[in-house]
Amino acid sequence: MSDADSGRARDALDGAADRLLGATPVERVALALASTVTALLIGLVVVTAAGYDPLMFVNDMLYGAFGTERRLTITLRETSYFILAGVAVAVAFRTGVFNIGVQGQFIVGMLATTMTILWLTPFLPANRLGGVGLLLVGTLGGVAAGGAYGALPGVLKAYADANEIITTIMLNFIAIGVVFFLVDGPFRGEGESATRTASIPEYAELPPVLLDGSDFSILGLVATVGIAVLIYVLLTRTRAGYDMVTSGHQESAAIYSGVDAKRTIVRTMTISGMVAGVLGALFIVMHANAMPNANGINTYGFDAIAVSLLAANHPLGVIPAGALFGGLDAGGQYINVASDVPPQLIDGIVGLVVLFVAAPELFRMAAKRTGLGGDRR
Amino acid sequence: MSVSGYLTRQPVRIVGLIAVIAAAGVVVVWQDLGLARLLTLGYLDRSLRAATPIALVAIGGLFAEKSGVFNIGVEGFMIFGAVNGLAAASLVSGNGPVTQFDLWIGLFVAVLISALLTTLFAVLMIRYEADQIVAGLAVWFIGLGFGPFTAILIWGSRNSGTVGRIGSLDLPVLSGIPVLGPVLFGASPFILLTIAITIGAWVFLYRTRYGYWLQAAGENPEALDTAGIDVNRVRYAAVIFSGTMAGLAGAVLTLGVTGNFIGSGMTVVDGRGWIGIVAYLFGNYNPIGAFLAALLFGAMDMLQIQFQTIGVPLPSSLVDLFPYVVVIVVLTFYGSTRMPSRVGEPYESEE
Repeated sequence: MSDADSGRARDALDGAADRLLGATPVERVALALASTVTALLIGLVVVTAAGYDPLMFVNDMLYGAFGTERRLTITLRETSYFILAGVAVAVAFRTGVFNIGVQGQFIVGMLATTMTILWLTPFLPANRLGGVGLLLVGTLGGVAAGGAYGALPGVLKAYADANEIITTIMLNFIAIGVVFFLVDGPFRGEGESATRTASIPEYAELPPVLLDGSDFSILGLVATVGIAVLIYVLLTRTRAGYDMVTSGHQESAAIYSGVDAKRTIVRTMTISGMVAGVLGALFIVMHANAMPNANGINTYGFDAIAVSLLAANHPLGVIPAGALFGGLDAGGQYINVASDVPPQLIDGIVGLVVLFVAAPELFRMAAKRTGLGGDRR
Repeated sequence: MSVSGYLTRQPVRIVGLIAVIAAAGVVVVWQDLGLARLLTLGYLDRSLRAATPIALVAIGGLFAEKSGVFNIGVEGFMIFGAVNGLAAASLVSGNGPVTQFDLWIGLFVAVLISALLTTLFAVLMIRYEADQIVAGLAVWFIGLGFGPFTAILIWGSRNSGTVGRIGSLDLPVLSGIPVLGPVLFGASPFILLTIAITIGAWVFLYRTRYGYWLQAAGENPEALDTAGIDVNRVRYAAVIFSGTMAGLAGAVLTLGVTGNFIGSGMTVVDGRGWIGIVAYLFGNYNPIGAFLAALLFGAMDMLQIQFQTIGVPLPSSLVDLFPYVVVIVVLTFYGSTRMPSRVGEPYESEE
């Protein structure tokens, strides 16, 4: 590869980044904040209109997210999940591939992790060392399964032109259905009355460090942040990452500089699915300990679209955005038990955040009209 | 599209298509399925009934995309229609039993609310040039949140329980016609309504000048502008129509097919809006094609009952996934339909 080629690729990348972001970092943060605040305000209006006390609602949300050490660990746990899911989405979105299937890849990863650990348990010593082995191999199983389930729509898009938005959504439905069937039948734990597999042995779980209880381990959060950094380095500091971002936004430029666009799409979807697989593995070893009913699992994969968009699809920006959603989710869980307000309200607010992020012009015009926002470029 | 691209795609398609047909053939022979027992009149009726919401949402989405706006929010608008129709019927009936009249009121209210919501959405899409894919997804998420939220406010639970279903037509003379009579005139009124809307949409699109404006707004907006027609006004009309149709489709689903709202998981709509989008792609942006594709998906949806009656030992949780698998197969072998050339681009007049 000659210098001229790499220069061309880099120019294309810069152009792509300019158009993708179309805004200064300050403006992007302002946009994310404005979207979130507007969505929360609309949520408050809905709460009030539905006959609940909005102040009480805000109070409950804050208490649920930060009120006690236990509540805080729940926030941190959910934050880890949203960061991983957000990174999975960001990898794809940043490279111009709409992977809406993170939820399905996550669920497939969960099942693969659980079953790998359950199958291997008899062959490894039942102590801490064996537990670490199970944990690592189980995680690899989840990553492989998530990656494969992400690669499938990637191949269909690259080689058969099948719209990945719709195929990944369909694959979500299929993952939920097939995993439900497996866990309800052949994989159901012995003597389980509910739809769930047997539990993984306790020594294979991620041990809590520092903060105790609530199924949270600092190790999980550290690993999560590590993966966000790893993906950031991959996308910005490696040849493969350049190719992925370039072919997403300047396909012809990428092809002229010798990038195989089709293979890049498959690679992007595989990496995205692998990160979703890590999420599945973490969810099992830190928290669920068995594969539950696939119908009732929190929709991290969908909410992650909001997380990623708020972060302008930046793998490191996903960390604060994930923390925001971790707090919202922990607050929502508290609302569910402590008040009459339906927690589905939080899902609606998340949707509104996505809607406003999609329409930056709305806030630009509003800023112009009110004289706020100052001069933009 | 380049010739080489076409050639590299063909083997995948052909091999895949042959594999699917062979697999279906093997199942039919191996299980010794009597096709005659599988394809009954009752099955046609159930398939048509299941197809109506999909066909309605498909025709709406088709109009929006023809005009140059990709409305992938239709799944979300269907959820709103589904919950609002039953909710309005419940509210109108007060504490008494829900009558047929209440259900029709519910349908009307649901369609009206959908029209209002879509108008807001259209402003965001056209005036504020929102990202069409992201904003469309957002509508789905908003529906997934506020749909069950509304259900809890009205019924105290995410699931409504049985509220009621709009009854069958019974047109005296017409329903006596053999085969067609009971299926069209002695069945759910929405089957007839959907067929009427399908034909109406076809005539509108290909036989009126408004239909040509709509197509021009998506294919060649400059030409339409030059001819003195406001492109964005045409697009507003098409987007509002698509969301309203999605709302109607959702209301028809709960008021005409299921009789209840389910708010858990992906709600009672369960991907029918997405399937509707694939139905019009498969139908090559033609309302009649979209209707036939919807019928195919409806038939897939109702396969479970047929399998049960003839004793095919496949678990229902897997048979229920057939429509989603068919969607992927359709997109894989029929993926690159010719989209209107200017879909997704905001249009700004030169003046």
